[in-house]
Amino acid sequence: MGLYVSNITSDSQVVTDVKVLVPDAGVRRRMSRVIRMAVSTAVECVGGIEGIDGLDAIITATGYGCLADSERFLRNVISDKEDLLNPTPFIQSTFNTVGGQIALLRHNHCYNMTYVNRIHSFEDALLDAFMRAEDGEGGRMLVGAFDERTDSQYEIMKRMGLWRKHDCGEGSVFVLLTSQKEDSSIAEVLEIDFPSDSIGEQDIAQRYGCSDDDVILYNVCCTMEIYPTISASVFAQAVEKIKKGASKVLVYNEMWGMTPTVVILGCIV
Amino acid sequence: MRTAVTGLGIVSASGIGVYENLEALRNGRSGISDFPRILETSNMLPVGEILLINEELAAVAGIGAGKNLSRTALLGIIAVKEALKDAALPDGLRVGLVSSTSVGGMDLTEHFFAEFMNDSSSGRLRDVVMHDCCASTEAIAAYCGIKGYRTTVSTACSSAANAIMIGDRLIRHGILDCVVAGGADALSAFTLNGFKSLRILDDKRCRPFDQTRAGLNLGEGAGYIVLQREALLDKVPYCFLKGYANRNDAHHQTASSEEGNGAFLAMSDALSKAGISPDQVDYVNVHGTGTGNNDLSEGKALKRLFGDKIPYFSSTKGYTGHALAAAGGIEAVYSALAIKYGQVWPNIHFSEPVSELQLVPQTSLLEGADVACVVSNSFGFGGNCSSIVFAKD
Repeated sequence: MGLYVSNITSDSQVVTDVKVLVPDAGVRRRMSRVIRMAVSTAVECVGGIEGIDGLDAIITATGYGCLADSERFLRNVISDKEDLLNPTPFIQSTFNTVGGQIALLRHNHCYNMTYVNRIHSFEDALLDAFMRAEDGEGGRMLVGAFDERTDSQYEIMKRMGLWRKHDCGEGSVFVLLTSQKEDSSIAEVLEIDFPSDSIGEQDIAQRYGCSDDDVILYNVCCTMEIYPTISASVFAQAVEKIKKGASKVLVYNEMWGMTPTVVILGCIV
Repeated sequence: MRTAVTGLGIVSASGIGVYENLEALRNGRSGISDFPRILETSNMLPVGEILLINEELAAVAGIGAGKNLSRTALLGIIAVKEALKDAALPDGLRVGLVSSTSVGGMDLTEHFFAEFMNDSSSGRLRDVVMHDCCASTEAIAAYCGIKGYRTTVSTACSSAANAIMIGDRLIRHGILDCVVAGGADALSAFTLNGFKSLRILDDKRCRPFDQTRAGLNLGEGAGYIVLQREALLDKVPYCFLKGYANRNDAHHQTASSEEGNGAFLAMSDALSKAGISPDQVDYVNVHGTGTGNNDLSEGKALKRLFGDKIPYFSSTKGYTGHALAAAGGIEAVYSALAIKYGQVWPNIHFSEPVSELQLVPQTSLLEGADVACVVSNSFGFGGNCSSIVFAKD
């Protein structure tokens, strides 16, 4: 039993028309931008809407959730003086909206969880999948992360001084994982660790047994644009490295004053 | 290997701490007020509000003035401190925290945003730094001295039940020896108006499982339990966490399926994981929000699972209101207390069974019962349905 990456998709890699991914026009129309982005990525990742049928777990991760809808509803509460409010943005502001929507598309009754633990959300979701696989409850699991950028969030975090080195980004990444090695497996998740303190660059390789040939990716160095679940996109880069021949890639995720996370991917042996 | 429940912590509209909550349950005393007194809102609707302002909550939590923590974090700190004190864990254990919330620091964000909306350079940043869900978890961990792995989940009204499940897995997988698990949510104008816009708030006291039920009363609070690896026990626990399941109703974003599919699957899977048959269940602490939809759906699921032999059941939402992400934590505490004291809590404000169900909850305090096995239900938006099974041994 292990945890194997069968497919991974970022929002920028979604090539299928959203009308094909989410055929119900009514469902599509109600989706906010981030929900559409995340759900499209998820459906593309499982190879089309029917791919949802075979899932045994849907585990989502987000730092800030559906910010635009939260803001829209809050704005209405204040400006309309708590009267005659449209419930749609409230409904869609819920953190588990994306996970629920994916299940709802095909009426899949499986395990459905949402982690909202800032920069650790994606790694927490991976750990959940890892434990389910070890428990023999794994099967096919869809794990995904998403965060959206809004003007207000950008402005507030700018005032907090968070965009001095990086710009504010957004994105979604979904990964299809299996607990058994399959022909389609492209990488194996070997370890997920939550160190209690920062680890210096020179110590990481030794601590995690990396050789000179192994690759270490640092989230804050891999991208100019960051968001809470940016490490999911660095994880996607790590999978690419494995595909291109690396035997082991370590993703080191540390920013915004939080303790780090370490995820180690290995090639299929 | 079993996971034991060794500590309880709670703050709800029914009181601060286990003792006050227990007294309210035993006396059938509702903590719901006719309208919000602390929350700034024009909605004069009944709420399960804790009648202390944030500064007073900070004092209860033993936190000095001027820290500007969100109300959710303050409620969480009060409950987690009580749970840890109750558990009196031996030194040297790896202790973690799995917390949950649905509003996070919204009470402070609402103040910030009212100013920010008019001028993007105004609004105090200290009122928005605790906006995200993780901020409350980090504050709870910091003020309660929890240094191990911690995470935050948010699956709407089933959140705390899911936190408890994850807590158990972390122990079973050897990642932690002990986990404080549960949830906290503060009342906010955001959620009160949200549920009002969905037209599922009753303008009278909520009446779970009653024919005349007309919606829920929103509540606030925090409920946490300490889970501990059985091998590390040094005292008699309240009960054991025997099983759980998380299933999705996959019917509608906010409404439950008519036949209660998610609820049925969650309860039946949780019992099979626990190795307990439905006829061994003594009490079900139902989700029972008092909305037309939930109670009908959950009632049908109860009938599907238990047939003609429905165990004692009651909703405790009439005491606390529906405290959203905290509800599953508050009700886990009530479930553990039911086992420890051999009591079943009355479902208050009930008079007439739902015509389609003809189910009658326990309406008076049942004492001296052998409550050996309790199922606690928590269902939420997004179709999230979770059930937890606690047992005496």
